[in-house]
Amino acid sequence: MTVSVPAPPTGDGGDSRTSQHAALARRLLLWYPRAWRVRYGDEFAELIAAEITERGPCWRRSADVAVSGLRARLAGVGMTGHPLDAGAAARAGLATVAACAATAGLAGAAMWAQLAVGLQWSVPPDRGITLAMDLMSAALLVLAMLGLLAAAPVAWTAAAAAVRGHGRQFRWPAVLVTAGLLVLVVGGHHFENGWPGTGGHLLAPQGSVPGGVAAFGWAATMWITSYWAHPAALGAFPATQIAWMVLCPVAIGCVVTGAVQLLRRAQLSPRALRYEMWLANIAGAELAAFVGGAVVWVLSAGDAGPGAPFRTGAIDRAGLAILAVALLGCAAAARHVRAAAGHG
Amino acid sequence: MDTPRADQSRALETLGRSSGPAGLILSSLADGPKHGYALTKDIESFAGVRLAPGTLYEALTRLEAHGMIEAVESQDRRRPYRLTATGATALTTYLESQRKVAEVGLRRLADSWALT
Repeated sequence: MTVSVPAPPTGDGGDSRTSQHAALARRLLLWYPRAWRVRYGDEFAELIAAEITERGPCWRRSADVAVSGLRARLAGVGMTGHPLDAGAAARAGLATVAACAATAGLAGAAMWAQLAVGLQWSVPPDRGITLAMDLMSAALLVLAMLGLLAAAPVAWTAAAAAVRGHGRQFRWPAVLVTAGLLVLVVGGHHFENGWPGTGGHLLAPQGSVPGGVAAFGWAATMWITSYWAHPAALGAFPATQIAWMVLCPVAIGCVVTGAVQLLRRAQLSPRALRYEMWLANIAGAELAAFVGGAVVWVLSAGDAGPGAPFRTGAIDRAGLAILAVALLGCAAAARHVRAAAGHG
Repeated sequence: MDTPRADQSRALETLGRSSGPAGLILSSLADGPKHGYALTKDIESFAGVRLAPGTLYEALTRLEAHGMIEAVESQDRRRPYRLTATGATALTTYLESQRKVAEVGLRRLADSWALT
């Protein structure tokens, strides 16, 4: 069988124009993920260079390459139809579900911690705030339990691979998760003492959350604050606290990154994948319930004056927006996991 | 109950926004292997459509992942692709369904509008 090849428009002379076209093609390639570039990069760059030589530079072509490259990147994380095999597609989608759930959980935890600590100190002016807190607390508790249940098969798969001597690929993600959790727990326990409500307060019974839990939540999310926009006020903080506010998000990032990498690398059985999807569906419902609770809070606290502990600010509304976007991301990724599992 | 033939037809449709370019690519490869630039020129000549590079390679990537085409070993940087048996079956079913649509449309146009 012969290969039909039209006359190539690219000369082999290597003149400056040809090398400019090749350089432009190489730059356009950067829209694509590395794995895609390794597989298709050379031939794709040749095609683009030939197109430019024949028809000249064109923004429509650049836009087409950019959109396709971004779609390839989204496909790599299970957010669009996936060119990889069904198992890899399902794992990538699940990892994205986990990352979106973690983002939503973090944004939610920051809002929840503010409210939980407020309830340690003040009687809420509106019954809606207590209702919101109960809804948000229940949703976060279920989400935490779902996270543990979801981690079990992944940890089992990684441990089984390690026992068989194939655990090398899990080593770094496991180190990231362990180190991040260690920093978070130790640091959170240390800095929760910076909040006088630690261990429960005189008024603690009016809230459904134990004082120690509220204080730990506050310590672990104190870096999500509008103080970053007010350096003068931030400068009054103790240096160790500012250091913690920088270290804490790094630790959380390590935990999420490590967990996502573990999920992507673990060769889960179809049954385990279905189990993870089942948990993801419940997590989606819980996140929606949390958003409902947060909306109740925003509506109930609408009239609270400046400085009131239950007052919602721009950062809370931003948190709500992040929650909503993460929830949509969860739903989109879950849809592609289901499609991939259907093909598996 | 679905027949294997019907499954092959749907295989092309499951390529989403790439299903249109996929039909053109498979048709182009039906007479032999071609690399990206050759595909672009051939498709332009028989369909009057110029596939942009990103669109072309998005469809190629998916077709290869679905086993409908495969890369041919080449020393050249411009790697050629060829149709597989799976791709040939999918293309046949796809084109037959397209032909049926075309025949119905043309017949009705002839009956009602006397345009053919």
